[in-house]
Amino acid sequence: MMLPAAAFLAVFVAWPLAQFVGNSFFRYQPIGNGPHTFVGLANYVEALTSPAFANSAWRTVAYTIIVVFFEFALGLIVALLFSALGNKSRVFRTIFLYPLMIAPIVAGLLWRFLLIDNSGIVNQLLFEAHLTSVPDQIQWLSDPNIALLSVALPDIWLTTSFISLVLFAGLQNIPGDIIEAARIDGARYPTLLLRIVIPLLRPVIAVALIVRGVDAARAFDVIVVQTNGGPQNSTETMSLLVYNTQISDGNPGLASAMGTIYLVAMMIVAVIAVLAIWRPGSDNA
Amino acid sequence: MNGLESRRATSRAILWVVLIVLVIIYAFPFVYMLLTSFKTPIETNAIPPTVLPNTWTIQNYVTALNTQGVAASFVNSIQTAVISTLISLILAIPAAYAVTRFRTRLGRVFILVALVMRMVPAIVVGAPLISLFHSVGLSDTSLALAIAQTTVSLPLSVWLMASFFEAVPGDLEEAARVDGCSRIGALWRVVLPVTRGGVAVAAIFAFLASWNDFIFALLLTSVRAVTTPLEIANFQSQFGLDWGSMTSLAVLYSIPVILLTLILQRHIVAGLTLGAVKG
Repeated sequence: MMLPAAAFLAVFVAWPLAQFVGNSFFRYQPIGNGPHTFVGLANYVEALTSPAFANSAWRTVAYTIIVVFFEFALGLIVALLFSALGNKSRVFRTIFLYPLMIAPIVAGLLWRFLLIDNSGIVNQLLFEAHLTSVPDQIQWLSDPNIALLSVALPDIWLTTSFISLVLFAGLQNIPGDIIEAARIDGARYPTLLLRIVIPLLRPVIAVALIVRGVDAARAFDVIVVQTNGGPQNSTETMSLLVYNTQISDGNPGLASAMGTIYLVAMMIVAVIAVLAIWRPGSDNA
Repeated sequence: MNGLESRRATSRAILWVVLIVLVIIYAFPFVYMLLTSFKTPIETNAIPPTVLPNTWTIQNYVTALNTQGVAASFVNSIQTAVISTLISLILAIPAAYAVTRFRTRLGRVFILVALVMRMVPAIVVGAPLISLFHSVGLSDTSLALAIAQTTVSLPLSVWLMASFFEAVPGDLEEAARVDGCSRIGALWRVVLPVTRGGVAVAAIFAFLASWNDFIFALLLTSVRAVTTPLEIANFQSQFGLDWGSMTSLAVLYSIPVILLTLILQRHIVAGLTLGAVKG
């Protein structure tokens, strides 16, 4: 009974994946039946020695850290609030749910609109709140120094909900008497949070961070519609670099080599993360 | 009211205020998009920008819907999402059932491999799929796009359905088997009716994965099978800064999923948290 699903994944994931990896050893034109020249590891050498690849790799790491960090911090605060306020917060939980359902492309375009330098509402509100002296003081998407942070905003906006809902569900599962016992022993709130709540939430936190980390490292939609990698390539993460090398530069061999390195690196990091923070099999934190 | 209680009441009030402020900030982008979609084209680009429209108009909606290709893209989006959801469920249900009921090593390997496949970036699978679909004559069709999107939703569907099947007691099925049901019969007549909620969750997530997909649509469609996310993105390249039409189409495209969310809220929360909380 597993056969149909397994066959589907083999044909439409494993086979294209194998082809993709295979392509990384050739140099050829994407259109027409031009000659495929076997070049061995030349594409890998080119990828690993190109500054564009190295920069893009760092950007992807930075982007993933920014997204996951802010989502986790905000998501935890919101989950703790929901949990402290109990059932009366239900309506707010619903409101918090909806960005998860919105298409990433819509979120990307929407934030691009919110963040326009001179006529964006975010800059206008900052100006009216006297936090900036002129409305276009912060050039969110056109200043290469901060653009990577700005393109991360819609991603954070869309999926903080996921983290907060998952953490909230985890909090519901913590037995009340453990918290009560700690309180009776005189534990203050920060101690309670750091020593009891977070360690108990560890498996939930691990799953949430790994799922989101992998998704953030693959982000494409939100970035491509906001900046398409610019300004000055400051937001060109790995997904965009592979896409541009494949489609715009028409160099599928090189794109495949880059994509293969990217995929292998992601899997290694994910496995390390699973082993390091999830620690399957060990009960104590 | 003694001192301790009133202190508690005060701190609760503070927590409420913090929560309400956070929720307002969180909801603002979408509300602003909604308000913008009812502004006149001039007001949309006004400097400084306004929050509430000075004049309310549905002109943007009319423009967006009359744009060449937009109406057809809605049909394509629905068609693609329905096909993708069906493929995902038809493949995931028997697979998840086999994994939970037969408990073989192969089953565990299958679940693991399926999850690893979810990590593969869309661009990596998408590029070779272009030539694969081209060679079987499926270029630029909703079916090809639906198949590509199912590569993302299938692993999740298997994972979700397996968790739901785990919860069904084996005795229930044994009884049906004793009464002469085949394995498939027991799955169809006994297990699935009890796990309707689970099927709904898997269906919603498969539907959303397809409905909200952009990169596969970008790679695999060109004219006939174009879905609405591509049309939404087109509004900015084609006409420069037509934010009015863009926001109105984005609102129209988001309404079905927001309604779905409100109606099926409990199921969605269950689905999102199930895998993670079980660890």
